[in-house]
Amino acid sequence: MRLLGLGSVIAYRALFNWTTPTVFVGSLLIGPLFQLIFFAYVGRELAVGDDRFYIVGNAVLSVAWTCVFGGVMAIGNERRFGTLGHVLLSPRSRTLIFLGRATPYALNGLFVAAVILTVGALMLGLHIPASAIPLLALCLAVSSVACSFFGLTLGALGLRFRDIWVISNVTTALMVLLTGVNVPADHLPGFLRAVGSALPVTHAAAAARDAAGGAGLATIAPDLLIEAGIGIAYAVLAAVLLRIFEAESRRRASLDTL
Amino acid sequence: MLLLGMLFHLKHASRSPFEIGSFVVVPIVQATLAVYLFRASAEPQKLLQAAVGAGMMGVWSSVLFGAGGAIQSQRWQGTLEMLMLAPRRPVMVFLPITLANGAMGSYALLATLVWGRVLYGVELDFAHPFAFPVAALVTVLSLGAFGILLASLFILVRHANAFMNALEYPIWLLSGMLLPIASLPAWTGPIAAALPTTWGARALREATSGGAVWPSLGLCAAISAVCLGLGALSLVHVERRARAAATLALA
Repeated sequence: MRLLGLGSVIAYRALFNWTTPTVFVGSLLIGPLFQLIFFAYVGRELAVGDDRFYIVGNAVLSVAWTCVFGGVMAIGNERRFGTLGHVLLSPRSRTLIFLGRATPYALNGLFVAAVILTVGALMLGLHIPASAIPLLALCLAVSSVACSFFGLTLGALGLRFRDIWVISNVTTALMVLLTGVNVPADHLPGFLRAVGSALPVTHAAAAARDAAGGAGLATIAPDLLIEAGIGIAYAVLAAVLLRIFEAESRRRASLDTL
Repeated sequence: MLLLGMLFHLKHASRSPFEIGSFVVVPIVQATLAVYLFRASAEPQKLLQAAVGAGMMGVWSSVLFGAGGAIQSQRWQGTLEMLMLAPRRPVMVFLPITLANGAMGSYALLATLVWGRVLYGVELDFAHPFAFPVAALVTVLSLGAFGILLASLFILVRHANAFMNALEYPIWLLSGMLLPIASLPAWTGPIAAALPTTWGARALREATSGGAVWPSLGLCAAISAVCLGLGALSLVHVERRARAAATLALA
């Protein structure tokens, strides 16, 4: 537990030692907030969904920016800064080291989503009953964890592929389309809906919308459980890929190839 | 020098899987999103406008992320100082980069139209079929010129990424690329009117669905020329300031 907790906190601090509050606010708060406002106006103009649909959905999607890129950076930056070899030389479990890094990103994602939801709702005049806040927080937390493990899965690919950023960039763009946050899922064709169902955010966004509308835990539990299951599946996949690609990169001597 | 610089930057970008992957795939995702949104709405007849709007969104993303990314990449590679030390006006050094990104952005416009036609059967029934390509070309070049103003900002601030990430959606929204500006609060009107992207998007929309294309296109080019002038002055100021503060290479 010490390895998991302390290691992840140090890695998180290292990431933000390179940056400033401007980057945090610009990239993680203002960007997703404008995304929320953009799609809320799209929803109003096209009458595809109401404010609750777009504001709550995009607030949940905002965790993807933080957690998916965070997960990718947790591994990708080690390679970029030339420290990956040191981590892989560690006699401790690398799987544990990397999976542990999801925790601070998930907490960060939860914070970002809470800010986006609060500011977005205040700016656009969406009333969310106080009784819905604990369940909304639960939805955001589950989605944050699932997105972090999804990010680690993509990050694990960084041990094998040189340019991991193109994968993460395209993936987050696809999440805007496929998670049912902006285009209602029943308007997407079956195969896109199926892909969306396997991505984090999709089920958490549905649960969060229900919660914001006053639904109880029993109503949103199925969606939340599916979201949690997706998160666990990605955690397992990330662990497997990390082991396979680590062995492969040692065999091919391609560890530090940029 | 402009043409050689553009060619050099295009070749440089063609070596980056990130640039290729993002520029090829992301506009198509945006086009798909726009098509499904408009199909789900009560106005599916506006699919062509949606495809053109999504293409314009791609042009803006290309200029924004291309200009910012190129500056940041020069900084990380340690070549930004060399560019600033070149015995040319800074604007002549950076304009090819932003024009090249504008040119790459024209792919987004073309790709969204082809994607819409082939996959979703969007009828490419332009109200002004001859004005449309001219409007597209002028808009892309104008946005390339507008990129100079962004480039000077990105050179001045060390964390260009934060600005890039924050500027994409507001310009999409304020320029009326996917939605009419009238659906926004009234106070956004003057801001929208000052943006070349607004007039470029309007010119393309008028070429698509009917209207006076040339006045909008003229305003787009005129505002971009003003931005180019301001950007050129700003680059000189930025250069002096960066030399004095010795902050140019700090990433």
